[in-house]
Amino acid sequence: MVDHPAVQVTDLFVSYGATPVLAGATLTVPAGTGVCVTGENGIGKSTLLRCVSSLQKPDSGEIRVLGATPGDSPEFWRAVVTTVEPPTWYPGLTTREHAELVCRAHGQDPDEAGIDEALERFGLSTHADAIPPSLSSGQKQRLTLVMALVRPSSLLILDEPEQRLDPDGRAAVAEMLADYVATGGSLLMASHDDKFAVASGAELTTMESLHP
Amino acid sequence: MTATSVPLRPVRRWIHRRQVSHRERGATLGNVYFAVLFAAVVGGMVHQQLAAVFWPGHPNLGAAPALALALVAAALLVLALRRFGPVTLSRPASSFLLTAPVSRRRLLLPSLWLAAIGAAIPAALATVALLGHAAPRDLPAASLAVTVAGAGMVGMGLLLLAAAGQRGPRWAAVTDRLASLAVAAGLAALVALTAGWDPPVPSAWPPVPSLVTAVGAVTAVVAGAFLLTVRSLARTPNDRILESAKTAGTLFDAAFGMEPSFVTDMIERRYWAHRRLTSARPPAWLPVLTGQDLMLALRRRSRLLWLAGTTTLPLLLRSAPSWVTALAVLLGAMIAGTTSTGNIRTDSGNPVLSRMLGITSRQALIQRAAVPAVLATLWATTALVLLQIAGDLPPGQWWILGFPVGLAGATAAVRKARVGFVRNDMLPLDTPMGTMSTGPLANAIAGPDALVLGVPLVFALGAGSALSPDLVLIQAALALIGARGYLVWTTDTDRVELTTR
Repeated sequence: MVDHPAVQVTDLFVSYGATPVLAGATLTVPAGTGVCVTGENGIGKSTLLRCVSSLQKPDSGEIRVLGATPGDSPEFWRAVVTTVEPPTWYPGLTTREHAELVCRAHGQDPDEAGIDEALERFGLSTHADAIPPSLSSGQKQRLTLVMALVRPSSLLILDEPEQRLDPDGRAAVAEMLADYVATGGSLLMASHDDKFAVASGAELTTMESLHP
Repeated sequence: MTATSVPLRPVRRWIHRRQVSHRERGATLGNVYFAVLFAAVVGGMVHQQLAAVFWPGHPNLGAAPALALALVAAALLVLALRRFGPVTLSRPASSFLLTAPVSRRRLLLPSLWLAAIGAAIPAALATVALLGHAAPRDLPAASLAVTVAGAGMVGMGLLLLAAAGQRGPRWAAVTDRLASLAVAAGLAALVALTAGWDPPVPSAWPPVPSLVTAVGAVTAVVAGAFLLTVRSLARTPNDRILESAKTAGTLFDAAFGMEPSFVTDMIERRYWAHRRLTSARPPAWLPVLTGQDLMLALRRRSRLLWLAGTTTLPLLLRSAPSWVTALAVLLGAMIAGTTSTGNIRTDSGNPVLSRMLGITSRQALIQRAAVPAVLATLWATTALVLLQIAGDLPPGQWWILGFPVGLAGATAAVRKARVGFVRNDMLPLDTPMGTMSTGPLANAIAGPDALVLGVPLVFALGAGSALSPDLVLIQAALALIGARGYLVWTTDTDRVELTTR
């Protein structure tokens, strides 16, 4: 068992121009647990996730992810998966091939990585030969989550993963996230759906409570 | 239910009045003034050189090559018109007027006229250029004028072919295939003519009355077809008009924002949207990203066939100085490499999937550069072999340079794919003719500038000296060191993203 938290944010300040978004935010996600930050639009949930994912530089404060400073190193991206930014799909590559590519890049055998099962659970098995740009926005969201979940990782950082999903899709995603946390993975997400977050095995935390 | 038709003219006039009220007074006139002044200044500076290029003192092109070139130009015009629409609307008009209860024929007719003029002018200009190189100098002006007018009518006829393709998918497929075949046949004929083929062609120019009769007949046919097209114009399907409206909008964006990648992305998206794919798996022994590139390259076999066909094109330059041939081989190698750099472009533009894959930028670039390097090497080697067989090269086994030249071409292709969007924040250059934006220039140069790695080949062919072991060694060393330097300088073993943050 690792002795450091999956995410440790201390005294984080971020502002856009003169408007402060995060003013001394502090958050801990213990390893092997899930935390879901909630709050109204514009309160800084995505900004917090972007900073933790190293995609945005905070004005000040300290962030440790899996015991190290987040960055663009291969080690970081082999341990952390984020859906904070939408992907640009590879042209001419099918839905299944995208998932297989991610598995192979992480040294997994595509036959043993559970791609078929994941596509089935996310309702994408009938679209396995389609190219992602031809999918609906909800299906694209599901594919992003399939890719995030079939590859090995230690921490998932998801920004409103329930967005654009129908009720069945939400239930399938919540179940897979709960499995992920139950098998030792750590989860940090932002959501507007408390029921979904709880079903995902995440503890709810409001953005206000992060500011002491 | 009764359909109410609203007159279109007052609607268009109302829109025009509103648009004009938002524009700066005289802005359009100012733009026209600048364009005319620019053309006049440039024309005044280089008119002698232009005359020498387009209308040399003596004709230097035979009738057969001129006909082959005319065939290629006509087929390219059809393909361009098909890609453009040709009947189109502006993006706002496609959103608001296409769904409005107005006459569709009247809505689309201005676009058809514009496209007809737009097809006739390049057809006439191409004919002027060909006549300038192929027509006897003692030909009466009337003969030239009638020929050019006839070419303009043929251009309009080709537009009507393309417009018919827009209304029916079957006819579209036939038109596209025939046009592609015509391009291939024209290029093959040019290569065969360069290699010594001597087909029988009429030796004398047709007399003016015969030309007038022929052009009159073409005009009658085109006019009849035009009327038929106008009658069936309203039957152009909505999806085709919307697609062409998007094309027109993207071309406008690309021209206005000086961002050619908008067009390449659109073409790529459309190509794959029309393909039916079956998931496959690349060989497991290949590195993962190389396998993906290989799979994609094999999915576009027709493109590979075209690429193979283009290896003959440097043969057309046998009358040009040898250094021009060398440059063509280098450029060709770069273009061959570019056919497989789409994934590098995707990763450079948006690194989200690079992060998901978690491969170091150096490993990623090595794996991604493999297929472009193989394609560029095969292209360069084949082109050099063909030039050698045709006897256009000094003594020596020049094909040995295929690998270093391919490596230089692949480096250029990879660099071009990573260049990203045009930077419009770069300092502009003040010139006597106005301010010039340097962003698009830097964007256009990034990529081809890496072809400097093939300079030894250019110098050696330019000097006409036999291939020496020293040259092979220098060229190979320069290409290898240059490619490795590019890799080491622009990637990192401790970074995933291809572009530094």
